[in-house]
Amino acid sequence: MAKTDQHDGAHAPVVEEVTDFEVLEIALRELAIEHGLFTAEDHRRYTQFAEQMGPAPAARLVAKAWLDPAFKELALQDAIAASREVGIDWINGPPTGFGTPSDFTALHVLEDTPTLHHVVCCSLCSCYPRPVLGNSPEWYRTPNYRRRLVRWPRQVLGEFGLYLPEDVEIRVEDSNSKHRFLVLPVRPDGTGGWNEDQLAEIVTRDCLIGVALPKPGVTSNAVRAVHPAVRPAARLVRGSP
Amino acid sequence: MPTSVMHDYVSEMRPALHLLEDWAYPDEINHTLFQAYMKTSHDVGGEPDAPAKFEEKQEEEWELNTFVTCEVLAWKGIWTSEERRRLGNVDVGRTQYNGLPYYGRWALAVARLLIDKHHITLGELIDRVAEVHKRRASGGAQPRSTGDGKGVTRNRHHIEAVGKGDPQCFAGMAGEPRFAVGDSVRIRTLPTFFYTRTQEYVRGAPGTVARVSYETLAPEDEAFNREDLRPEWYYIVRFKMTDLWDGYSGLPNDTLQAEFSERWLEPVG
Repeated sequence: MAKTDQHDGAHAPVVEEVTDFEVLEIALRELAIEHGLFTAEDHRRYTQFAEQMGPAPAARLVAKAWLDPAFKELALQDAIAASREVGIDWINGPPTGFGTPSDFTALHVLEDTPTLHHVVCCSLCSCYPRPVLGNSPEWYRTPNYRRRLVRWPRQVLGEFGLYLPEDVEIRVEDSNSKHRFLVLPVRPDGTGGWNEDQLAEIVTRDCLIGVALPKPGVTSNAVRAVHPAVRPAARLVRGSP
Repeated sequence: MPTSVMHDYVSEMRPALHLLEDWAYPDEINHTLFQAYMKTSHDVGGEPDAPAKFEEKQEEEWELNTFVTCEVLAWKGIWTSEERRRLGNVDVGRTQYNGLPYYGRWALAVARLLIDKHHITLGELIDRVAEVHKRRASGGAQPRSTGDGKGVTRNRHHIEAVGKGDPQCFAGMAGEPRFAVGDSVRIRTLPTFFYTRTQEYVRGAPGTVARVSYETLAPEDEAFNREDLRPEWYYIVRFKMTDLWDGYSGLPNDTLQAEFSERWLEPVG
């Protein structure tokens, strides 16, 4: 018997008013503040910072690298310095003054060629370059993606609709330590004479992870089912990234 | 609707053989079984799994709050993110690791941290959870006071990394790197207990150093807040997929890279 309906977000079972996770989160935050570990203002400031993170800086970085060979060299040699050129002061930026703790401050740009394609995962958790790419998508965090990409990359990429020919080497980057990674795809045909804004538009989050290739006319990730939130984060209600 | 192995009872049925005798005698645990028990639950790379539907997800308010709480605790020197990963991804055990939502484990990691490091008692947490349940979480967090943070025990890292970043704050502390780009190496087959970031699937495999990365603490030390220990060099190592997986089903030139602390590498040839 199929049980699809039970799992389908559109037909989600009635959820009790407050979940155990909401209660636990609030209880812990209250206790941490009362014990002086941090202040409510610290939490508010970091929330404000987290809410504005998204994939735009990474897309801009790739577009610039396609247009400017000197910038591309900088991106490949010192990606943290290149991030500054697209508005992200990864190390000194607010609020911590030493970067976003879970992302560390080492970034490496992986350059694709006509015979080499990179794709990124973190088989141990969900390491991801948040300051330039925002928060990771749900599928990137699933054990399924993490189990399979490191062993069956061609099959997994096929499920994303990406079929690579036999003369292209696939290089999986398992982001298991302090480096974070971004893919610099090959600039696609049909983009001659485009400016930086036009180019940045086709560099989607999926291209930057390596599960898609940029294409003229494609300016968003492949359409996938979205599991809805019961009480979505405020930034989603407001419609910011 | 196309055939899917997800959300279908028949596909999810598995033969199961449960041991009624759940008190193992020492002579019944051989080395292979012991290793299986000791494998860290976050280390899933290469485990057999069927294709699934890759979905996006809208973020819950409590998920964003939990993420922020975790980052602020690191910002303020209460833990490092490596401690968070151990507490939330490994210490929870397999059942909770695979059964709870992603940020649910982050929240549990905070709870364990605050209790383990004596910032709060378990009794306090129990009382507060019961109380928040009673008020049905209305009004969000309502701390009764703002604590004086002066007496709180904090790590050195959140001060020492300011203006430098991490791993840059460890630069110059590990001496000369033992390996160089192009060196042939092998990942050591060491036993693992409690925490590592060297995946099981690379242990014993030959590879080539692709990048000498940086100096920092080994994850086995950092995950336990041993900031008193000596940092090590890290290396990105490139493997041939065919050296990692028997019967690799892709193409012979396919490769994989990952990054390891020096203690995990040994020279080859």
